[in-house]
Amino acid sequence: MNIFRSAIFLGLQLTFVVSAYAQTSPAVKISGEVTKPLTFSVDDLAKMKRSTAVLTDRDGKAHSYQGVALQELLEQAGVTMGKQLRGEQLTKYLMVKCADGYEVLFSLAELDSSFTDRVVILADKLENGPLPDGKGPFRLVVPGEKKPARSSFQVVEMVIRYAKD
Amino acid sequence: MQVSGYKILISILLVAGLSIAGFRRQGPEPLRIDYPAYFGNRTFVPDDNPTTVEGVALGRRLFYEKKLSASQQISCGTCHRQELAFTDGKAFSTGVDGSPQPRNTMSLVNLLWVRNFFWDGRVAGLEMQAAVPLTNAHEMGQSLEVSAALLSKEVVYRSLFSKAFGTDSLTGEGIVKALSQFERTLVSADAPYDRYLRGDYQPTAAELNGISLFYGNPDAARNIRGAGCAHCHGGPKTYIELYHNNGLDTIPADSGREKVSGQSYDRGRFRVVSLRNIALTAPYMHDGRFKTLEEVLSHYNEHIKPSKTLSPFLQGVGNSNASDGLTLGLTDREKKDLLAFLHILTDSTFITDKRFSDPFR
Ligand code: HEC
Ligand code: HEC
Repeated sequence: MNIFRSAIFLGLQLTFVVSAYAQTSPAVKISGEVTKPLTFSVDDLAKMKRSTAVLTDRDGKAHSYQGVALQELLEQAGVTMGKQLRGEQLTKYLMVKCADGYEVLFSLAELDSSFTDRVVILADKLENGPLPDGKGPFRLVVPGEKKPARSSFQVVEMVIRYAKD
Repeated sequence: MQVSGYKILISILLVAGLSIAGFRRQGPEPLRIDYPAYFGNRTFVPDDNPTTVEGVALGRRLFYEKKLSASQQISCGTCHRQELAFTDGKAFSTGVDGSPQPRNTMSLVNLLWVRNFFWDGRVAGLEMQAAVPLTNAHEMGQSLEVSAALLSKEVVYRSLFSKAFGTDSLTGEGIVKALSQFERTLVSADAPYDRYLRGDYQPTAAELNGISLFYGNPDAARNIRGAGCAHCHGGPKTYIELYHNNGLDTIPADSGREKVSGQSYDRGRFRVVSLRNIALTAPYMHDGRFKTLEEVLSHYNEHIKPSKTLSPFLQGVGNSNASDGLTLGLTDREKKDLLAFLHILTDSTFITDKRFSDPFR
């Protein structure tokens, strides 16, 4: 009985250790006010409609990044973009969450081509090569801002919500 | 006849009104936790566990209750001692079975603003957190059911629980909820640095320079001095919920956040912690490797270990006072000033506040 119990216990501990160390392939999740919650990997992103955005990094130089427009991703998740983005939908925001806990916020109108010509992308490539360590596999690229502070690294989640105040 | 009918009606209304007023507050009294506006209101209190006077009073007693441990010898307060800002001065505290904890005991301060707990942020919310030390075999090692059954034998607990949560609330869930309510009240906001922010304290020249170094980012090209600490420890709370590899090891013995996320980019990342009362909470880091704050500063200034996951804020030209970008490059004088700033984060009101002390003493 006792041996049986400790065997179960050991088993449980092992599963924990194994599951704790199992590497899962990186992915980004879109959730919240969406009609089709979406999770996509690097491979999925490679198959979508690609865009390029140019960003002046902290080094003061302009670099070109390749990835998928945020609008495209949000539309795939069934977020109210384009013609649907009016009235109460204009009180919605997007919260971008990164692996290191960093979070930045956008209003949906900032990301929609019927409001702005600026195209914000989720990049997986820098100058058609891999993103540097610590920044990938997914980096937000927000062109045209004086500070690159919203061009956040290692994006893991995007959450859409209504502002309720 | 008419008149007396009127009178009766009025007296009925009066009595009804009075009794409504008298019984209006059914159940526990809501407690407002005071904190300065500069801490911001991004606080985390679950809807099903509002903070109340009765809940906090019960939680305080439970925090110091040794009956919650298998040996009846230790309480939360054994490892989390108020006079040391709720740490115990050890690199690794000893649990109920005599074994050392795998990581350094964390300070309990301004938890109202924390969402993910422990050095690796593995547990969301204080209610979930509290169950861990209570039941972990190497910490207090007693199931919530056994604890609830033991406390039910005492009249005082039956009464305290019923006041805090109503009858039949003396359960594991009630224990965890009360502890969490108490922990949310552990606000430290009366250090000399707070008095400075309120305009009641004039820091010394060294302290002022320490403040500016702490918040400032270095720019060697323009001869601007900074220590860049606020990237990670920033804001008046000296806390943002971030996970970083702060360069302790090239190959970390404890992979930290990687164990939670399963991602290699999280290797050696740990949750940034508040620096409030930091002079009281030695030794430092998740493994208590540094005995003094001088050692911590020398780590950041001269001994950052490179690795693939080292935070970008701790490397390169934009993060160095030296033009080669190899180290932080603070002078000895600047390190002393930074240290002076860390010392004005010590809040003697917090560590002597009767509301947080052991009620059994
Ligand atoms: C045996 C010593 C010990 C006891 C007893 C103990 N703790 Fe802890 N506590 C620790 C250690 C060690 C950590 C850090 C553990 C980790 O990160 O894995 C910690 C972390 C915490 C944290 C996380 C703080 C943060 O900022 O994330 C909280 C909250 C906490 N303890 C509350 C409690 C409560 C409530 C009790 C009683 C029910 C308790 N502790 C009992 C040692 C102890
Ligand atoms: C890149 C982010 C980052 C920067 C920049 C940074 N820190 Fe930290 N700091 C951390 C992390 C993460 C920890 C916890 C690490 C661990 O224990 O593994 C920490 C821990 C500490 C601790 C120990 C806390 C404790 O309770 O043990 C002190 C003290 C500290 N930092 C001071 C500073 C000072 C002073 C500066 C500026 C010179 C600074 N930090 C810059 C991320 C950072």
